[in-house]
Amino acid sequence: MLILHQTQAIHWALAGLGISFVTITLLAVANRRLGVSTGFEDLCSLVLDAPYFKRSAVTSGRPWRLPLLGGLLIGGVLSAVLGGGWSPTWDLGMFDTDIGWGNGGKVIWMFAGGLFIGFGTRLAGGCTSGHGIFGLSNLELPSLVTTVSFMGAGVVTTNLLYRVIL
Amino acid sequence: MVLLYLGLGTLFGFVLSRSGAADYDFIQGMFLFTNFQLYGIIGSAVAITAPSLYLLKRYGKTLTGKPLVIELKPGHRGNVVGGILFGIGWSITGMCPGPILVNIGEGKVYALAALAGSLVGAGVFGVSYPRLQGIMRLPVLARGTGDG
Repeated sequence: MLILHQTQAIHWALAGLGISFVTITLLAVANRRLGVSTGFEDLCSLVLDAPYFKRSAVTSGRPWRLPLLGGLLIGGVLSAVLGGGWSPTWDLGMFDTDIGWGNGGKVIWMFAGGLFIGFGTRLAGGCTSGHGIFGLSNLELPSLVTTVSFMGAGVVTTNLLYRVIL
Repeated sequence: MVLLYLGLGTLFGFVLSRSGAADYDFIQGMFLFTNFQLYGIIGSAVAITAPSLYLLKRYGKTLTGKPLVIELKPGHRGNVVGGILFGIGWSITGMCPGPILVNIGEGKVYALAALAGSLVGAGVFGVSYPRLQGIMRLPVLARGTGDG
């Protein structure tokens, strides 16, 4: 069951097929390797003028990365609308039942987690899509190293929180 | 082309939303080894993409006839250190970068805080790149850590 409208999740193979379709189409038509986290740099480059954000790898990606990020947002809206209607929600599943912090606590928790995501993905040179899907599919060693690192850290962190601390 | 990117992003976002890949409980279930769903999603995505990618590379051209260019990601210490930091963040929020945007779209208010944190984190990384370069053995600034 998804947190969103308590909907039944689609089969994993259908999701894998959909993600593959997006990845291959992006490459076959537009010559782009799938990746989301560099989009954060695109957004940063709109307001920060450190040399890192002025490099052409970041600025030249804007015409395709920003629409892709916008599409991810629209996909979420569409999913909510078609699944029972769109409305703002603070529901957070087992975080609510096991940890039970209020909205203010969730904002702090999420912001702190976001810092790790933003800094970590950019230091690693990619996230689940760029390393985990594209890099692994292209048999790239740095992607295997990164994927093992983030999966391992996630397993340790979640188990520490839900099986040791709680 | 903008419409193509927007369309692919929308399909990607919808699939992530409906499959559990953008769902806090499914992500924790993956890390607790109590839910197979995410392993199935990532595994089947790689299993279908890898051979398609191989065939496309052998064909060597995009559908519009341009030579296919796939820039490989560089290897460096940031793969491990950054990977570990990202894994901690993925566990804390239940979201990786794509699903942060999907969750905002779904109306989950707290995801805005995750996006704010991610942008600050990426900003701090970019600003401190010259200082991290030595210790993390990162490529020259113009190349970066790898575009993902």
